Amino acid sequence: MGGGPLVSVLLPTYNRRRYLPGALASVLAQTHRELQVLVVRDGGEEVADVVRSFHDPRVVFIDRKENRGKPHSLNEALSRAQGKYVAYLDDDDAWYPHHVETLVRALETETDCQVAYSDLYRVYCETRPGSERVVRSKYVEISRDFDRFLMLYFNHVLHVSLMHRRDLLDKTGPYTESLNILIDWDITRRLAFFSDFHHSLTITGEFYCPLNESDRISDVRRRDSEDYLRNVLAIRTTHPPRPWPKIGELSIILATDHLDQQVGQTLMRIWRHTFYPYRLYLPLPAADLSRLNIGMPNVVLVPVEPQSSVDERVDVALQRIESGYVGIMPAGLPVEDMWIEDPMHAILHNDKGREGFLIEGACNGRWGAVVSRADLQWARQAHPHLSVEASLMACGVRVRRPKPEELAFQFDELLRRGKLASADGDWLVAARLFEQMGRQYRNELWMKTMAARAYCEAGQLEKAGHLSREVNRVRPTIDTLLLEAKVCRQERDFAGAIRLLSRAEQGLSGCMDSSPIRPGTTVQYSQTPGGV
Amino acid sequence: MDTTKGNEIEEHKLTQHYEVLRELGDCYTTVGNYSQAHRCYEKAAALGPDEPGPYVGLGVAALQTGKLEDAEIAFRVACRLDARCAKAYAGLAMVAQQRGEYPQSFDLYMKSLELDTNNITALLGLFQVSCEMGSFAKVIYYLQVYLESHPGDISVMFALSALYFRDGQTEQAREMLQNLLALEPTSQDAADLLEEVEHTLAGGARV
Repeated sequence: MGGGPLVSVLLPTYNRRRYLPGALASVLAQTHRELQVLVVRDGGEEVADVVRSFHDPRVVFIDRKENRGKPHSLNEALSRAQGKYVAYLDDDDAWYPHHVETLVRALETETDCQVAYSDLYRVYCETRPGSERVVRSKYVEISRDFDRFLMLYFNHVLHVSLMHRRDLLDKTGPYTESLNILIDWDITRRLAFFSDFHHSLTITGEFYCPLNESDRISDVRRRDSEDYLRNVLAIRTTHPPRPWPKIGELSIILATDHLDQQVGQTLMRIWRHTFYPYRLYLPLPAADLSRLNIGMPNVVLVPVEPQSSVDERVDVALQRIESGYVGIMPAGLPVEDMWIEDPMHAILHNDKGREGFLIEGACNGRWGAVVSRADLQWARQAHPHLSVEASLMACGVRVRRPKPEELAFQFDELLRRGKLASADGDWLVAARLFEQMGRQYRNELWMKTMAARAYCEAGQLEKAGHLSREVNRVRPTIDTLLLEAKVCRQERDFAGAIRLLSRAEQGLSGCMDSSPIRPGTTVQYSQTPGGV
Repeated sequence: MDTTKGNEIEEHKLTQHYEVLRELGDCYTTVGNYSQAHRCYEKAAALGPDEPGPYVGLGVAALQTGKLEDAEIAFRVACRLDARCAKAYAGLAMVAQQRGEYPQSFDLYMKSLELDTNNITALLGLFQVSCEMGSFAKVIYYLQVYLESHPGDISVMFALSALYFRDGQTEQAREMLQNLLALEPTSQDAADLLEEVEHTLAGGARV
């Protein structure tokens, strides 16, 4: 592929001298030639000789002796990046030659998205001192279509499979250098505020999972659960500058007539259990606000009259709110995971309008819900003397509990059930569930692959083969090639089995040819005796 | 969703490469491409050094190309890795059979069948060796056991019919051959043997 937009490839490295040549070679072998390759040595082992040995003018080497962490290295590289697009590679991973071409083509011609990603093999391997990695298996474990709600909760796009417009970083801001893990999620989460992500169903590289003790810094740091939680909360509560074209903004009003310990606990729980971006409004008398020693981000203090009722306090806060959605939260209502996300998900996906959704645990004494700001303002203006709940009702805004199918993460709940069934050995149950999920939700190829594997475990090789064949017609993987080959063998189609297995072996030994499998064979074999 | 826990690595994720190579080796063996089969089994053995399967495959490939010593070594490695590997004993029996060491071959086939009464290669090998040695009682027993779990296996039905006939159990031979021909009316060998059996039953002399 000659010409085309310039892509800046960011490749930070730290103490992986052994693997860096492979990673860098895979970048320089890209079919898309317009590259600016920014290799950043983040301290650690000397690698200048490794980088210079490539003699490629597209490589910019930033040689720093001090170890300042990956986010700093990425920001340092970004400060020198000139490409229209930015892509990332870790120093122990590798791209296939069509990686950049695939994503550039997607972003330039196939989608309006400003972010794209592909699928990667997770490679389970053994690392032995002084020798190459011994590959045990290669699986596309996650081939998940973009899901903004999930992205706000947790990352489902691998950093090394990501490409985005460089100018998007002007909106998201740089990498957060105070983070020491989940650095990739920090940026993908913020990118999701501004763009959808295009999912290219192509396997364009691999990342490595050593079966002996992992040396990945992120894996080591994840073992410290307190530190992990600190990073998670920092990411969830840090928002990029507004406006957010892809996020329905939410303001939460903590509705209470007094400040006590319970209010403090509710605040803490909101901070800890809310992942949807929000701004929290605290309408309290000035004396109470001055007593608050609050270090939470995204909190707006709203002074109100000491004698005002809870509804009047909501009205005062409402005057300052500009977001599209408002959550009204009475102090004391239980705050667990998904407490505001479930009604928020329901209202975001509600196409009827004039409906609000109750917060889990809301009851007559403690009414709480998520409604649109327009509905709430209209109700309060029309019926200022009624309670918030009654005014909405009087205006014909129906506030109800979300139905199960309106809740967030239904796909993930089913996935969890399927994995549990698999772990319990209920392979047939799991297979049927995955198959149904593939029909009902997106992520069709991924679910078909999961179903094929489960059917194989259940001994239903024919079904496993059928589903594998369907996957292989679109995007073959080693797993599905192996499953289809087993069926061919059972059907005594040895030529077909050899063709599929040879391709799988080729993929395990080196680069995977990910072009779809076409029916038909070119080599004919006949069976000969001789087994034992 | 618990996003803090890593997934346990399932067993199949550790064996995929091994499995691909072993399957490929088996397929190449089936179609008679023994050099490719050998290549695959060697790589599989390197990935699964504790698994007897690739060594059995290496033994078969060597056997088929007349390398009896290589075959014996490979089958012995398989036996050492798994003392209950019926295929490895059948392989050693085949090596012995090809060397004309029929009593040893007979014992090894018997050992294989003790471990797996469904091993068709061992059954048919035992049949051949029995014919060479003129000792039918044990092989008849194993063929009967096999047919109980695999009724309608024509090759075994034919072998058993022949053994019945050679052992003087002519009525059983006729019944078995009639059953076989009901399943496979075009089997010329069975029809010929039945004709001979009926001739004997009618008092005629054997050819």
